[in-house]
Amino acid sequence: MTAIAISDLTVAYDGHPAVHHFSGSFERGSLTAIVGPNGAGKSSLLAAVMGRLRPAAGQVQIADDLRGRIAWLPQQAEIERSFPIAVFDLIALGHWGRSGAFRGLDREQRQAVMEALDRVGLNGFERRSIGELSAGQFQRVLFARLLLQDAPVILLDEPFNAIDARTTADLLTLVHRWHAESRTIVAVLHDLEQVRAHFDRTLLLARRCVAWGPTVEALHPTNLAKARQMAEAWDDHAPPCREAA
Amino acid sequence: MNCSRRAAIASMLAGSAGFGRAQRRPLQVVASFSILADLLRNIGGTSIEVTALVGPDADAHMFEPRPADARRLADADLVVVNGLGFEGWIDRLVRASGYRGPLIVASAGLQPRMVNGAPDPHAWQSLACGRDYVRNLHDALLRLAPTDAAGLQSRTTQYLARLQTLDQSIRKALDPVPKARRRVITSHNAFGYFAAAYGIEFIAAQGRSTESEASAASVARLIDQIRSQKAPAVFVENISDPRLMARIAKESGAKLGGRLYSDALSAPGTEADSYLKLFAHNANTVIAALQTAQAS
Amino acid sequence: MTLYELLIQPFADYGFMRRALVASLALSLGSAPIGTLLVLRRMSLMGDAMAHALLPGVALGFLFGGFSLAAMSLGGFAAAVAVALAAGFVTRATKQREDASFAAFYLIALALGVLLISTHGSSVDLIHLLFGTILAVDDPALLLMAAVTSVTLILLALLYRPLVVECVDPGFLRNMGGHGALIHGLFLVLTVANLGAGFQALGTLMAVGLMMLPATAARFWAAQVWSLALAAILIAMLSGLVGLLLSYHLQWPSGPAIVLVAGAIYLLSLAFGPREGLVWRVLHRHSHKAA
Repeated sequence: MTAIAISDLTVAYDGHPAVHHFSGSFERGSLTAIVGPNGAGKSSLLAAVMGRLRPAAGQVQIADDLRGRIAWLPQQAEIERSFPIAVFDLIALGHWGRSGAFRGLDREQRQAVMEALDRVGLNGFERRSIGELSAGQFQRVLFARLLLQDAPVILLDEPFNAIDARTTADLLTLVHRWHAESRTIVAVLHDLEQVRAHFDRTLLLARRCVAWGPTVEALHPTNLAKARQMAEAWDDHAPPCREAA
Repeated sequence: MNCSRRAAIASMLAGSAGFGRAQRRPLQVVASFSILADLLRNIGGTSIEVTALVGPDADAHMFEPRPADARRLADADLVVVNGLGFEGWIDRLVRASGYRGPLIVASAGLQPRMVNGAPDPHAWQSLACGRDYVRNLHDALLRLAPTDAAGLQSRTTQYLARLQTLDQSIRKALDPVPKARRRVITSHNAFGYFAAAYGIEFIAAQGRSTESEASAASVARLIDQIRSQKAPAVFVENISDPRLMARIAKESGAKLGGRLYSDALSAPGTEADSYLKLFAHNANTVIAALQTAQAS
Repeated sequence: MTLYELLIQPFADYGFMRRALVASLALSLGSAPIGTLLVLRRMSLMGDAMAHALLPGVALGFLFGGFSLAAMSLGGFAAAVAVALAAGFVTRATKQREDASFAAFYLIALALGVLLISTHGSSVDLIHLLFGTILAVDDPALLLMAAVTSVTLILLALLYRPLVVECVDPGFLRNMGGHGALIHGLFLVLTVANLGAGFQALGTLMAVGLMMLPATAARFWAAQVWSLALAAILIAMLSGLVGLLLSYHLQWPSGPAIVLVAGAIYLLSLAFGPREGLVWRVLHRHSHKAA
């Protein structure tokens, strides 16, 4: 059963395609890694799925019961870390989807926040300001928020970038937990060893789909070489694209 | 024909015709502000064309010259200023415009009032000084446009007479008001000469120029003064913040006595668009307020 | 001079002093929280830009209605909102960043305002519009300030979470369908409204002072959004009170006195504030906690 269906998707920046005529689908409950060379359009694809980027062509279709229930892990740089907000409050935002922007938190919800903190190993950090956290600690906070959101579809944009090994290991455990709970998970990653070790399905992207399937097949050396070739092309003088799906 | 021969012929013609050029074209006079311009127009008649740099309802203390002003100066035959430090910007403007003609100071020869060690420039607020101004302007125009000497003379005499008459009528109207009751509040202390001429005390909320912003202390002091007198009036000038005066009037229980014109004429067609009208208006407004104060 | 004479008597004796105090308290309540959020959103100079953007609208209102509160306020409000909208549009539609587009439009607005005044009004009017005076606050102006402050506080309380999230994680807000652009726009409108109410009392130049200075000083006293706002409000109120007293006892013009007191508090906070005050940092350079 399909969770996310993508047909002929093109996402463009300044006219140049980052994702070019991409089609495919993510099955429910799948655990997929998106990998590819730099400039391959991985984050753009994810953003288009999330609805953060408008496609230049094609479309993304989310299954009806899953619409509006997608959780997103942003890259750390997108968050204003110098803002004086406490760890508890940032995590508590995870309740927003259910209780809305205006209602306060009841006891049960507060308890849930504390539990999430516990599960990511940040006991006692609830009153700390987010600016005081290390990169690894902050990433745990963002995962705690994801826990709270309790979404059936989770998109992770480079979740382990510049994060220490210990944190990475702990959070990967969490990801496996989610997979066991039949959530659909898609993660953009750079570390191929990590992917081989933890993700059973991989999408190798180089603006277009190079390979999509079980990780062992997708990350075959021939595919990787092909991907490298395809991703580097950025031609300022390219003519308008006349391709159909 | 080369230049020097042309010049020689021109000066011969000029000498023989006696400033023929001036007769064909009216003398271009630039006055620094509207009151001077009005005086000049009254005595100069059609033989001169006057413009004012600081127009009606504008404040010469804060005037900022524009390129058009510099051009007007450059084309002028005569520039008239008040002097006594009134036009802080005139030297720079003259330099910038390259004007090298005669610059007449209307207050020349006047013995100014001194306030805090500096001369008070608002001499036109005394009719006696006004008459001195007129005499100075007459002399200047006579030198530069002697062909119209007769007309100039008669117009000047007439105007001086009108100033004299006005002065006498003011004194007569003020007579019944005892000296002890002659007190008036304004927002800006430009009426020193008027005060001295008619024995009236002018109390101001701000300093001598409009550049200074009111402090709570000066406002409080003013309110105290108003309260301790018997229902005096507060006057708003055409170049000050009416809101502050309204507040002071409300709190002190004084009446807003009307508008006084200190440094500029009002717009053409309104109540103080000439020096005579301005002075008469000011005097009548003050007298009316004093008479009411006395009556209560 | 007794303490009573120093602190209380000026207000006891004079209605205009009481009004001025009430006006500055009202302004503080509304402007300080806005200033806090501006600082947190790194939009500190935006306040100054918006204050200047008010000018052509105020000028037009003045030219048509004289010193009428309604004309000038509406005009100023419309002009500043127009600048905000134009700048916002340019930021979204082109590669230009927000600070540059704001700078461009507010400068255009400012020059337009000065031009209008200079050609149709007089330079005196310009000075009064730029500086204003809190000593001349009348009932309509007080009511306007009270209304703006009330609306500001209510809206800030209601929109607290979206506003904070829009600052710290705008992506999250967008994903929640939170109308980030709308929130941003509403926030700008509140800023303009507070500046508009403030300029009547303090003029365009000083109204920004009371909005921004207490907010920048607050960070040396508090760490959370709500406590920063509270500290800013208190500092602003104190500045109003002390500024008026200085204007009364030392004959200083009222607007600059208030803003300079705020400035002095900022400098003192910078040096001695309990959070990262310079003096403490120097003293504690060589010590740290046990764990």
